[in-house]
Amino acid sequence: MLLQAASGLERLMYNKNPKGAINDSNVAQISAALYYQANVIAKLSNSKKFKNSFKKIVFTQIEKDFGNYIDAQARTKPKSFHHVYEWKKSGNKNARLFKLTSIDSEGISFKIDFEFLMSKSLVPASNSKRRHVFAAKASIMEAGMPLKIAPRHSERLVFEVDGNTVFMPKGASVTVKRPGGTSVMNQFKLQYSRFFSGELVNSSIKKSGFKELFNSESLRALRIPATIRTVKYSFSPNLIRSMADAASEKAFGASMI
Amino acid sequence: MTANFKLDAMLEIRKFLWAELLEAKIFDEDDYYSDNIGSAIVPIIPVQQSPEMNQFLSGKKHIIYDKIGLSYEDNWLICCEQILFTVYSTDVSEINEIRNFMTDLFRRMDDSAKDVNRFESLNNKFKFHSIFIADISPTEPSEELKGFLSTDIILEAKYSRITDQTGRFL
Repeated sequence: MLLQAASGLERLMYNKNPKGAINDSNVAQISAALYYQANVIAKLSNSKKFKNSFKKIVFTQIEKDFGNYIDAQARTKPKSFHHVYEWKKSGNKNARLFKLTSIDSEGISFKIDFEFLMSKSLVPASNSKRRHVFAAKASIMEAGMPLKIAPRHSERLVFEVDGNTVFMPKGASVTVKRPGGTSVMNQFKLQYSRFFSGELVNSSIKKSGFKELFNSESLRALRIPATIRTVKYSFSPNLIRSMADAASEKAFGASMI
Repeated sequence: MTANFKLDAMLEIRKFLWAELLEAKIFDEDDYYSDNIGSAIVPIIPVQQSPEMNQFLSGKKHIIYDKIGLSYEDNWLICCEQILFTVYSTDVSEINEIRNFMTDLFRRMDDSAKDVNRFESLNNKFKFHSIFIADISPTEPSEELKGFLSTDIILEAKYSRITDQTGRFL
């Protein structure tokens, strides 16, 4: 789209026999400079290396800040966030059951989503011979889905309620209406949307240092070449495009797509 | 001389906040007097102590805080820290009062930092550069403490610790 818009500049910078009011070296030069920079930006935004560097820098910072944010929320409100951590490790960075994922999008932009990880730790049970892993605890508790527990290896369920042992009839199942308690449902999603719709994500992007990426290599590539800085009435679009190609490739390697 | 590594900018902000809340008469120290300790408990509590204080603070407005993260910039003299304050009260107007007060106190970046720097009880090993409100959540019924309402306020503070000539903490 940028290149399409910039193509309108071609007639202003390449005009052997101008008609009308526009016959000015300034117009040709400014058009050439804009045309050059538009080409560089278009090239950079399609450069795999630039895109990867940008995405890596920004995503890494967001991932770190979002993780810290949820950890702090979980330490402050363990009843609401214990489900997105391994058992009894609410707010522990190493016990998270969530992670952010990034999905490539057009140009240098990318989308962020999250996924829940499988729990690997054993469900705490003070007085049980058989121990279990509730693998999908994060996603099931977050969704507030009722959970049906049925005997698989034994003939009946046996469990304790308030210190009393309950023996269920043979083959009978138990339904837990709100696994994880009433406080957990949609709490992670709520904080996720709060982080990404408020100032926190902006702060994270600013902190990422992505500007450095633009300030160094990109800025060097965007610098107007001496040929365009020289006063002329006509500039060749082909020559400018090839100069933009060369500068972009120099800035971010030859892996242009 | 060995530096005191127990010092923490978050604790300095908490000290400043408590002094300001008292001065604004938003909290009354007498409401938090503990007979067991023989003095008033500051109801701005680190999250690690929150379970022990639950009974004492039952029904009383209070604030739980925790550090979200801390990082140094390329200029390693400047530290950037985010602190989460969760305000609890059974009365929505009390929460709004604290939230609005904290917004007023901490939204002004350099000027908010200047206020903290001027605070007479501030440890002289710290110099704050900027403090601002990074996020405020709506007031809603707390899932954590039944019967309470709560709101989150996140502050972002940039500060330096006073260092020696080699850049180590004093």
